[in-house]
Amino acid sequence: MDDTDASALVHAALQHDDEAARALLRQLYPLVAKIVRAHRPHRTDEEDLCQMIFIKVFQKLSQFSGKVPLQHWVSRVAVNTCLNQIQREKIRPELRHADLSVEEQAVIENLTTSADELAPDQRFASRQLVEHLLAALKPVERLAIDLLYLQGRSVEEIRKITGWSAALVKVRAFRARQKMKEYLARISAKEGA
Amino acid sequence: MNDHEIDRLLRSAAQATADEIPAEMPFGFDTRVAALWNALAAKPNGIASLLRRVVLLSAVVIAISTLAAVREIKQSREQYNDYTNEFAIADTAIQDEFSQ
Repeated sequence: MDDTDASALVHAALQHDDEAARALLRQLYPLVAKIVRAHRPHRTDEEDLCQMIFIKVFQKLSQFSGKVPLQHWVSRVAVNTCLNQIQREKIRPELRHADLSVEEQAVIENLTTSADELAPDQRFASRQLVEHLLAALKPVERLAIDLLYLQGRSVEEIRKITGWSAALVKVRAFRARQKMKEYLARISAKEGA
Repeated sequence: MNDHEIDRLLRSAAQATADEIPAEMPFGFDTRVAALWNALAAKPNGIASLLRRVVLLSAVVIAISTLAAVREIKQSREQYNDYTNEFAIADTAIQDEFSQ
């Protein structure tokens, strides 16, 4: 969706054109769903959170100035909604070795015993393991890791999406990495014991 | 656990993220969201408008009761003045009577 299309759809949606609103939804859904999957709190359903985000997007649509691409603006609304929802839950589960699947335990073993890249068939398990590690972090740290390492976005892009300064992005990502390392070391130690 | 290990883990997880199938919109999701949005837009803020009405009504009641209270005070003051005048005249007449 280019900027002209987006502006036209936004303009039409603001006039309560249902078809334009639906077209916007169809085009933005994959983006919002991806953000929700990465930042969904444990006790909130993915579809419910997507719905909450889209309602917010439509309610604030008149505030969209068009200075930034629509995708960036929607990403920001989605990220902030997810962070608020995560902060509401407050409880961050403690990471326990017993909670990991056999595949995740194999990933940890592979990490500690070999220096090679993980095999493609371990990608899913490594993703699950990272999810577990992320769940133990603060929401903002989780976001920094997800955007920087998992989605592979640049610091500049993250700055636009989150509104943080470049330095803050780097500091949060660094702290989050340190914590993940600690947790992983703790789990590995338990596994070895 | 060193940096190399966490990097390997994150790289592998990132590839799993990239391999993810794009999410498909659930059936009827667009209709539901559009309907909800329209419903919310029809009454932009129910609580705010209710509060506004309550405040307006309270202001009217306060204004009316203030006017009534002022009127009441004025009337009672006039009555009091009338009585005090009558008492003063009577008092003067009595004093005059006794002094003679």
